[in-house]
Formats: sequence, structure tokens, C-alpha cells
Amino acid sequence: MAKNLPLKGIRVANFGWVWAGPVTGQTLAFLGAEVYKIESKARIDLTRTLPPFGEGVPGPDRSLSNHACWAGNGSVTLNLKKPEAQQLARDLVAECDVVVENFGPGVMEQLGCGYEALRGVRPDIIMFSMPAAGLDGPLKGVRTYGLSLTSLTGLDSLTGYADGPPVPVENAYSDPYNGILGAFPVIAALRHRDRTGEGQHIDYSQQEAIMHMVGPAFMDYAMNRRNAAPKGNRHPLGAAAPHGVFPCSGDDRWISIAVLTDEEWSALKSAMGNPAWTEDGQLADVAGRVANVAAVHEKIAEWTAQHDDRELSETLQKAGVAAAPVLNVADLLNDPHYKARGTYVEVTHPLGFKETIYGAYVKTSRTEAAVEPGPVMGRDNEHVFKNLLGIADDRYDQLVADEIIY
Amino acid sequence: MPPGALEGIKVVELGQMVSAPYCAKLFADFGADVVKVEPIEGDVARRWGPFPGDQPHPEKSGLHLFLNTSKRSLALDLESEAGRALLRQLIAGADALIENNLPRFMRQWGLTYDELSAINPDLVMISITPFGQTGPYAEWNAYDLNAYHLTGASSRYCGRPGEPPLEHGTFSADFFGASAAASWGLAAVYGREPAGGGQHVDVSCAEAIAASFVGGQNIGAYAQDGKFDKRTGVGMSLGAPATILPCKDGHVWMLALETAQWNGIAKTMGDPEWMQLEMFQDMFTRAQNDDAMYPLIEQWTMEHGKMEIMEECQKNGAPVSAVFTVGEAAEHEHLRARGYIVEQEHPEAGKIRNLGAPFRMPACPGGPQSPAPLLGQHTDEILRELGKSEDEIETLRRDRICG
Repeated sequence: MAKNLPLKGIRVANFGWVWAGPVTGQTLAFLGAEVYKIESKARIDLTRTLPPFGEGVPGPDRSLSNHACWAGNGSVTLNLKKPEAQQLARDLVAECDVVVENFGPGVMEQLGCGYEALRGVRPDIIMFSMPAAGLDGPLKGVRTYGLSLTSLTGLDSLTGYADGPPVPVENAYSDPYNGILGAFPVIAALRHRDRTGEGQHIDYSQQEAIMHMVGPAFMDYAMNRRNAAPKGNRHPLGAAAPHGVFPCSGDDRWISIAVLTDEEWSALKSAMGNPAWTEDGQLADVAGRVANVAAVHEKIAEWTAQHDDRELSETLQKAGVAAAPVLNVADLLNDPHYKARGTYVEVTHPLGFKETIYGAYVKTSRTEAAVEPGPVMGRDNEHVFKNLLGIADDRYDQLVADEIIY
Repeated sequence: MPPGALEGIKVVELGQMVSAPYCAKLFADFGADVVKVEPIEGDVARRWGPFPGDQPHPEKSGLHLFLNTSKRSLALDLESEAGRALLRQLIAGADALIENNLPRFMRQWGLTYDELSAINPDLVMISITPFGQTGPYAEWNAYDLNAYHLTGASSRYCGRPGEPPLEHGTFSADFFGASAAASWGLAAVYGREPAGGGQHVDVSCAEAIAASFVGGQNIGAYAQDGKFDKRTGVGMSLGAPATILPCKDGHVWMLALETAQWNGIAKTMGDPEWMQLEMFQDMFTRAQNDDAMYPLIEQWTMEHGKMEIMEECQKNGAPVSAVFTVGEAAEHEHLRARGYIVEQEHPEAGKIRNLGAPFRMPACPGGPQSPAPLLGQHTDEILRELGKSEDEIETLRRDRICG
């Protein structure tokens, strides 16, 4: 272990805010890049104000959820409303390989940091823009939150109980999804730059990326003009049954069971003790099980309800059935699997409190990602402005006093 | 067209269903040479559909046609030593292997990272499974559904209290894991020099979500305060309006967290008096009084169409959106203007529409280069590249080692 991380030597200026953009920075940082988030006390990011706070003490450097989602990003504070701060941002970009941003189209131009301006100071810069619906097109200015962005892809129309109305997902699945996937085109563009000397402006549409998740249902529409509707936890393409979440003993305990093959169906039957209803000839093949999915699920639910979710998962796994407990938030932290994989780590924040965040959620055999606590605002100001940009101490102090570095 | 960003990267895909094929598709659509190694009977996705007119046909499965663009197909019997030898030869010359088999199958086939790195130290092996390569559930049989529900995402964020937690109605865990695998895997390929060679990239679809989605927003709070939340069935419990409501012809995402947004909805609704009440003046008090508020908004939405509601609210500064059906998304003028939906000519399925690249790289464009391959379409071509003679190829085909 402990050779250099793959993106060692790559420097990133991250104008990203809220969630998706910061996660792209975090992903690149896990992979070895040196990432500086640019933010300001003049407009504190909403996510820095979200409770709960470290040790219960409110403050923009103490939001636990913000820290987990931003960890790995450094922090530089610049009040980009001021032209001098915009100049400093461009000076920083001149020393960077990559710029990340997730504002709406046009905002970076207003901040004096549009692609043309940045290319002027760094001709081979890779600028990664990830607005909700891309940089152009009739919906380019659409107002959404990550929470509702999915409604523009068809995804929300697929989520819900069978034949019922759409049920909202109560947080922005699309934000970490796009944040992580966003690193892919950035790295692809780095490779292109290394081979040709050419930078570029990547237009990443969050809408279009999430719509790939709808790909299977899109193909049904494209081929059959059919609009898919919610189907609970049934197989998305109706290609297997049983396939669902079933109640277990205890309050709000559930088990997921997916039977894709006839062998798995036989295994499930035996595990249930081959009850008479399973011997119905119609259920012997996939087509018959899918046709009778509601009745099959009802019978299985009667059986699972008598069992503990974890014990039943073990039993079914021993029999060869794909089954697993449905975990709640508390279960995650105590789960032996996530413990074994070191999914969550406790770190000590520079302000002295302990916080539990997630570490490298992908494991790499040769290189080990570093895990840092969430960044204190302005953590890297001295390093960036004095060491990297060569600003003298007295001018630096003046910039701080003038609330340009702020 | 200039070459794709990943031109020159050689990838072997040993994957079925969704996760590894989607990850490999991202590589293929942006220029990598991806050989999809399929069993003689083909990737399971070829049997999952959807099919035109619901008539099953292994070359016309929509899932397959979506996930396998820009790839070449080699059909190979991995249960035979000759088949495995061919695969090892292919991997020896590859930059990356992308696979989603349970670890026990990779052991049975002699395709563990230790074995493969011995023949190709620069190989990046990207393994994408529900639970990953290590930990007590690594050997469990599992699919997308099991992975998703192990993340806390469903218990916390989707479904009505007392009813089963829900996934999205697609292969959410597989897509998430595949996306993480694409970024981390490409970094490992790109960074082989600083890293000192290839490596094994171990992706658990469940872990990626449990960490970055659910963990990021909840685990710090639970670890510190011992408290946690569960799904409510409403879009957001802390602020309102923030949920999906029915309207005249479908559903809309009604969302207003800031004052200007609330005023934008009010303006669109004709500034009804009730919206000026003190109890509705910030998102927190609105949420506390949502029993009163949602029915009043719903009365109005039920009288209007979703596209009209979206357009007017957006115009007035509120982030309200229509819940598009798949067809409404597919036909939207925005996506047409951006050229997102592409047309392909497939030898069996005919003219098909497909989804294009989700990001534009002007210097090195990507997106589907060719339609999904027929089963074994490139078997002969690839065997020739491996130095096999026409006689050897014929024998491999006759012995059903290749197809």
C-alpha cells in the first residue's frame, strides 16, 4: 500500500456548493487530487447551517452532515461579489488543472469566472459545469432542488407502491450520484489533456445523467409507447418474482427477497417448508410467478412476519436465496458488514469535537484514500494565498481586513 | 469526429444484468475498446426485456440495447478450461477488467485479482457487487434489490410509515455502484504511474449509497445524538411545501423553501388570502401546519395541468416541476434541442431510439458509437486478434467453447 494516489499532483478549484459539486470535489480528493472549495462568509452555504452540530453547538464549522458530504475538500474563502476576490479566484485557477461548479448557467460569468475568462488565465483548464439540466436548451434555467430534479427524468413517475401514485424520495439521491459520477468525465478530460495539451468545458446535465437510471423504462416507451408506473419493489422489468420487501417480526422490520432463477425458487420453497400453495403448477416457472406476483407476495409476507429479519436472512442465504435485512439508519452504524469494511469512521475535527463521517466507500488495493474531517471555512487560505499565489504577508492581511479574503 | 477521451484503453467486461455493463458502457461510449464477454447463451439482460410488442428475442431486449452500446461481444464458455484460457489471454492485454460476479464464481474460474495481476500487473480490476469483496455479506447471494435495501435509503427516505420501504422502481443500487466504479476505476487506470501499477477496485453498490447518500446526511447525527429518522411519505418533513401532489392530469413537485419561492407560488395561484396567514410565512411553520396547507394547495393543483403549473410557477420564481412520465421526459423539447435522444440502426431490432451521453465533452465527444452487439458478433474478430488461426476458430466454435 501507500504508493501515490492516482490523482496525485492534480489541483482543483471547486466552486461547487450545497451537495453535488462538493461531492465531485470530495471524490477527486479521495482519489488523490488537491481540492480547494471556494466559499465565503458573505454567503454561507445553506448546508453549513444544517443541524445537528458538533457537540450541539451551532456554527458554520460544526454541521455534521455538511462535514461528511464535504470532507476531503479544502476551503478557501473569497467574497466573490468583489472584483478583487474574483481576480484572486482567477489567479488560483491559473494554478489549477480543474474547475468544478454546479451553479445555474451564467452564474460563473457573473462572478468573472466563466470559461472564457478562465481559459484566458489557464489555456488548458478543464472546467466541469454540472447545472440541473445542462448549459443550453429550453430548460437550462429550470429551478429545481436535487430533491425534485428527478421529476424531470421520469424517475419519480416510477417510484411508489404498485399501481399507486408516485411517492417522493425524501432527499436528493441525485446529488451524491451526480457528484460521484461527475469525477468520471473530469478524469477522462485529464487524460485527453495529457495526450493533446487541450483543455475543455464539460457540460454535465444532472437531468440526463439521472435519466440513465430510467433507461430500462425509456426503452419500453421507445419500443412500445408505454409509460411505466410505480410497481413497489417488484422487479423493474417484471422479469422475476417473488421480488420484494416483506414484513418481519418487530416494529418496522423488513426483509428483501429476490428470486431470479428457478433454483432460487426451489431453495425458497424448501426454506419455507414447501407449503401447499407453492406446489401450484403455475408457479413452477418465472412467467407464472410473475403473473401471480401479488398472491405470491401475500403468502410470503405471512411467513416472513413470523421471523426475525436477520435470522431469516441467514437462513435464506444458507439455502441459496438472495435475501437481506432492510436496514434503518441506526442499523447502518452497528452493522457488522459496514464495520468490517470501515464504511463509517470517527475523526477528530480541528475544533476539538469528534464526528462520524464516511470514508472511502470504494476500496482500492494499492492505494488507500486519506480521510479528513469536514473543512473549517478558510482552512487553506494562508497556504493558497501566501505559498501558492505568493502574496506577501502585509497584502494578505489587508485582503482579510477588506473582507476580500472572507 | 475526433477520437473519444478514452480511445486506446482496452477493457474486458465480464458482467451481466446492470452494474458492470453500465460501468463498461460509460467507458465504451467515450472511446474505450470494450469487449463484452458473454456466456454462450448470452447476458441475462437479453432475456429481461422490455421487448418490442412483448415478443421475447435475445437481440431485442431494451435493457441490453441500452446498456451495451459501443461494445464488441465475445461469447465464451467459462465452464471450460479452454474458454478460461482465452479469457486470461484477453485480460493479459487489457487495461481494465470490469466484472460483477459473486466472488465465489471468480474463484471457481481462477479469475481472482491475485491470479490476474500475476499475468498483468498493470491490470485494473473493477469488481462491482451488491456487498463488495470483503465483510460478512461478501459471499451472500444478492441482487440490486437486496443491495438497495441494505443502505438505509428506503427505510429513511421512501415509503409511507407502516408500509414497506421502497426502491425507485429501477435498478438504483446497480446504477449508483456502477457510477462510483466508473469514476474510481477510471482514476485507477489513469493513475497507474503514480500508483505504481494496477489494482483491485472493490465496489459494493450498497456501501456506496450507505456512505455517500444516507451516511452523509444521517450517520454523524446518529453517532453523536443516538437519534435517527425514518421515512414519512412526504417529500420533506422539516420544510413545506415540498412534496408530490396530484393535479388535473398527473402529479407535480410543489416546492417552496424560500420566501420568494412561496410568493411565486402564491402569485401563480392568484394570491389567495390564506397564503398571507402568519402560520404560512416560513418553511418551518408551513411544515408544522401542512395538514391545513396541502389540501388547500391541492384544491388548486387539481384544477390545473402539470405542464401549466410548472411553467407558471417557474416563471414566478418557484422551483415547481411536473412529474414527467417517461414519455414526457423522452419527448421533451429540451432534450431534443440538446440532442440527448439518439437513433441507432440495429441489425435485428431495426431503428431504435436510445439515450445519449449525459455529459458533453466538446474536445472529445462521446455517446453511443454503435448499437449493442449481437451475441458473439465479434467472436471471430477477437479470436483473430488473439492470434487464433481460422482452423482453431472453427474448432473452438465446434466444441462450443466460443459462440
